[in-house]
Amino acid sequence: MDLTQLAWLIPAFSFIAFFLVVFLGKFLPGRGVWISILAIGGGFVVFWVVLVGFLGADCPMAFGQATCGFSMEWFTAGDVELSWGIIVDPLSVVMLGMVTLVGLMIQVYSLGYMKGDPRLGWYFAVHSLFIASMLALVLADNFLLLYVVWELVGLCSYLLIGFWYERRSASEAAKKAFITTRIGDVGLLIGILLLFDQTGTFSMSGTFEAATAGQIGQGTLTLAALLIFLGAMGKSAQFPLHVWLPDAMEGPTPVSALIHAATMVAAGVFLVARAFPIFEAAPDALTVVAVIGLITALIAASQALVATDLKRILAYSTVSHLGLMMLSLGAFGYTAAIFHLVAHGFSKAVLFLGAGSVMHSMDEETDIRKMGGLRKVMPVTALTFTIGALSLAGAPLLAGFWSKDEVLLAVLDHKNYLLAFALIAAFLSALYMARALFVVFYGKLKDENQHVHESPWVMTGPMVLLAVPAAVVGFIALRVTDTGGFGTFLYFNKAHAFEFSYPLGIASALLALGALWLGWMAYGKGSTLLDPLKARLGGLNRIIENKYYLDDLYQWTIDRIILLVAKVVALFDRIVVNDTGVDGPAKGVRWSGGIIRYHVTGRMYNYALGMVIGGIFVALFWWLLTTR
Amino acid sequence: MSLEFFQVLSVALFSIGLYGVLARRSSVLILMSIELMLNAVNINLIAAAAFLDSAFVGQIIAIFVITVAAAEVGLALAIILQLARNKSTVNVDEVDLMKW
Amino acid sequence: MTEVLFGIAAAMALGGGLGVVATRNVVHAALFLLLSLVAVAGLYLLLFAEFLALVQVLIYGGAIIIVLLFAIMLTRSREYPRISDNRQWPLAILAAGGLFGVVTAAILWKPSPDAAPQGPGLAKLGETLFTDWALPFEVASLVLLVALIGAIIIARAGGRG
Repeated sequence: MDLTQLAWLIPAFSFIAFFLVVFLGKFLPGRGVWISILAIGGGFVVFWVVLVGFLGADCPMAFGQATCGFSMEWFTAGDVELSWGIIVDPLSVVMLGMVTLVGLMIQVYSLGYMKGDPRLGWYFAVHSLFIASMLALVLADNFLLLYVVWELVGLCSYLLIGFWYERRSASEAAKKAFITTRIGDVGLLIGILLLFDQTGTFSMSGTFEAATAGQIGQGTLTLAALLIFLGAMGKSAQFPLHVWLPDAMEGPTPVSALIHAATMVAAGVFLVARAFPIFEAAPDALTVVAVIGLITALIAASQALVATDLKRILAYSTVSHLGLMMLSLGAFGYTAAIFHLVAHGFSKAVLFLGAGSVMHSMDEETDIRKMGGLRKVMPVTALTFTIGALSLAGAPLLAGFWSKDEVLLAVLDHKNYLLAFALIAAFLSALYMARALFVVFYGKLKDENQHVHESPWVMTGPMVLLAVPAAVVGFIALRVTDTGGFGTFLYFNKAHAFEFSYPLGIASALLALGALWLGWMAYGKGSTLLDPLKARLGGLNRIIENKYYLDDLYQWTIDRIILLVAKVVALFDRIVVNDTGVDGPAKGVRWSGGIIRYHVTGRMYNYALGMVIGGIFVALFWWLLTTR
Repeated sequence: MSLEFFQVLSVALFSIGLYGVLARRSSVLILMSIELMLNAVNINLIAAAAFLDSAFVGQIIAIFVITVAAAEVGLALAIILQLARNKSTVNVDEVDLMKW
Repeated sequence: MTEVLFGIAAAMALGGGLGVVATRNVVHAALFLLLSLVAVAGLYLLLFAEFLALVQVLIYGGAIIIVLLFAIMLTRSREYPRISDNRQWPLAILAAGGLFGVVTAAILWKPSPDAAPQGPGLAKLGETLFTDWALPFEVASLVLLVALIGAIIIARAGGRG
């Protein structure tokens, strides 16, 4: 039996865990959270089985080919046969590995972080569902199934961001996340239906064949690709739909880690990667992807520089890196984007878990201005956080360095006019990481923070375990054996190994180190190096601090335009639909009934007269019909 | 003298009775008009029996009609008495409870 | 000869009927009804239905008219000497005339075969009634019984209330 066939077990475990914990959790010891952890742990084990099976099996290597998976009939509607099945290809294998590992670590960490929460069972149940949806999304072999679990991912993010729904800001943030991503989801749905209209199938392989064979008109294909990208923009928080992600920090910190590292935001990048043949066939759409990604990267990086909330800094950092991934995809850097996704996923998971550890010890404090020198009291957290931050900043030899280099290389090869901006984004990302790192963990320990202590091992353990891949996962990119490494693996053995470009690598290493040094000087040692710059750029600073007024713009749009339209619609509803359409017939019946009821006189001879007249006509008809 | 004579007479008597039912207010007079209509029907039945039917079924049915008429009059008397007792009237248009 | 007798009887029947529906006095109406019923009994004789003519005079002329007079006497309304018709009487004329017109037209449309009326005779009628029609006869007697009981109950219930 082909071991890759077992891949469906991975999401199935967590789906089952969700139902078990929700329905039976209160009867189980420890509210059943161990079921959830056991399920994801089992998924992680199965992942290795699938990986071994996949490396051993001789799977056909092409985009979207599901031969190494299976597909079974779901139902038939008219001429359309809907199937559901799984794709096991390098992309899904990589994603499976990352999601299961990060998910497992975060669940273990949550044991410590969420300890004593009254809704612990519900938390772990939804956590399982979230991971299960993401895993199913990764494996889905047709767009319809993908859309279903895509929405499930959105639902779970809503539930988890608003987990502490007693806090108004949390429930508002959950709504914002849900609605903003819904905007993108509508685009995705339309895109899927557009492709279905053109090809008559939801199956990915069928759609890709049609797209690459040029069976779909170029304009339609570009439109479909852009609509799919709209869905990815919502989920992956791309400009201008990125506004939900920083607010999503209202959720518990492990949830943020999960959203940012493995599940939610990765879904968008994954979607574009999965549908890459369609984008390849529509180069204009790819350019849009690249430009949007770049704008997102720059805007988010600038906001990360001025944010004072630790989790928000990390959130903007995520947005920025997602922008880089999109930029990479837009520059045909398919493998680079996935590589960066993995490297960023591990690093960001470590960072969020570290931030959670800090918050846990400091009574949910997130303002970095009240922190400082925490490495003295939280050595493990400081060490892992440093590794994650340096990795994301692109410090040489850590994972982020290699992946960022690949992204830059892809941009250089295919969209070289964007390279300068990409370098700026890379520089900024190093700078804000340096700021977060040095302000929080280095410098002088504040007096009121003397009591702060390290988190329990159940939290630090996962951080250490995740810090290891965050540091070393970059080396899989290298041509460690003659198989060609990660790049070749991802690119279907088509000899697209990751090339390390020395000039670019040295340039980006210098940029990163320069930014780190600048950050150290400005934030670590407290030098006034950046102050004149800040003063000169006061206006720009204000714009950035106000998030480019995007939230205000959206609020204005909602207040002035959408609510106005809604009022008109409501007026229409009340006057035309309700008063005329619904009440109208009722009033008509009442009025006519009021008139007609007077024929019911109560006098029998009136009724008898009516009966006789009717009888006369019956007699007349009967006579006319019988005499002919 | 043929069947039509009796049939037309029957219809005429029936129509007169019908007018009485429709136009009279007193329940006693309505009852009388109903008797007229029943008689018209009986004429029709017996004429048909005499002219067309060698088995004389019409006459038998006429006997039953008379029987039912007798029963009807007995019941109607009871109803009219009740009406006069409860409503102090025998006019049907003053008993108009069955209306809006 | 029979035509003349028919004409007399028919004129009496119709005249009595018109009297019933036209008079303003209830007692007069009852007497007009009696006239009409007796005339109808004469018509039965013309149709060789001797038994029915007898029954007509006995039941209608005797029992029913008496019951109606009882009704008049027992209710004794002040309106009885000068009763009025309701307001729909013109429509009632139209309806009755319409029915008459339609059915008469239907009757005269196709002439029936010319034949002499004939009757079964009393013995034959009795034999048929108590052999072929025995069951309906018994049911009819039951109907009478039920009507009798019903009339008593209705009249008594009112008396109690």
